[in-house]
Amino acid sequence: MSAESQAVEVCAFWVGDAIYGIDVARVDEILPRVVPLPVDEAPAHVEGVVHVHGTAVTIVDLRRLLPAGTPPRTAKPKVILARLGRRRVGLRVDGMAGVRRYTLADIRPGGPVPGVLAVTADDCRLLDLRGLLADRTAPPRVPL
Amino acid sequence: MSEGPSSLEALLARFRFRPDEELDGTAPLPASAVEPDREAGADELQLLTFGLGTGEYAVALGTVTEILRARTLTEIPRARPPLLGVLNLRGTITPVYDPSLRLGLPSTVPPCAGPDCDRPPRPARILVVRTALGPAGLWVDRVRGVQRVRNGGLERPKGGPTGGVIGVLPGAEGGCSVVDPEWLLR
Repeated sequence: MSAESQAVEVCAFWVGDAIYGIDVARVDEILPRVVPLPVDEAPAHVEGVVHVHGTAVTIVDLRRLLPAGTPPRTAKPKVILARLGRRRVGLRVDGMAGVRRYTLADIRPGGPVPGVLAVTADDCRLLDLRGLLADRTAPPRVPL
Repeated sequence: MSEGPSSLEALLARFRFRPDEELDGTAPLPASAVEPDREAGADELQLLTFGLGTGEYAVALGTVTEILRARTLTEIPRARPPLLGVLNLRGTITPVYDPSLRLGLPSTVPPCAGPDCDRPPRPARILVVRTALGPAGLWVDRVRGVQRVRNGGLERPKGGPTGGVIGVLPGAEGGCSVVDPEWLLR
């Protein structure tokens, strides 16, 4: 296996007092200000939906799915527009922490909280976004 | 848990993005949740109105995919006048044109491509329109908003060659010409 395929590029962000990361290839855009339209009967972690370039995107508050804590004072809340298969989802985070590159040697499997696949040497928690949001990106279907 | 590289690779396979990955058990959003705005009826036309110089113009809203705040473009050496430059739209190289020349108006676009130009004026916008050859940008001085017009609510353009002017939206100060974006780019 080439060294190139073993490296992982991570979009890192703050949620609470920890840094989490998702595959940088998932990230479409970082939105500074988002005011979602609330959806009735949505789960507590779904803030609502917004129109982004003509498509409706569910905004998920990761702060309600991951452990709470106080982010650094310099962090500015953002919404990460991430790809999940063919759909996109907006992830509300406490702040961005840049794009980081890791080799396999930097990563150890297992995480301290559910939804975390692995932790890097500098304590960036690699998220299993699909697992974290499976059956969660959409509000329950209500009978009309 | 075994901590060999193969188990790590298996974990990273879940971490990495694949376009064909599936989300199990996810129900689609109800239609009422994804469409907060009232949809245009069959007897209605939605127009995006914008300003060029002192005139007001409009294009069909459906042809515009995005409105960007005007930004400094990448210059193209020896570009012909309607072409102002290109911009990188999330990885897609998008040419940006000055629509005023096609409409026979004096250009109002300040130098906007290359490292030496000033910041674009604050109200200026780039309308990204869909064309057969991919997205293209139209530099406009300002964007007014969306106007709904009933079918038949447009007047015929007065005299002269109509070109890409589809109709005129009646209103103050000579109304607002509705133009075909494809014609502006031709």
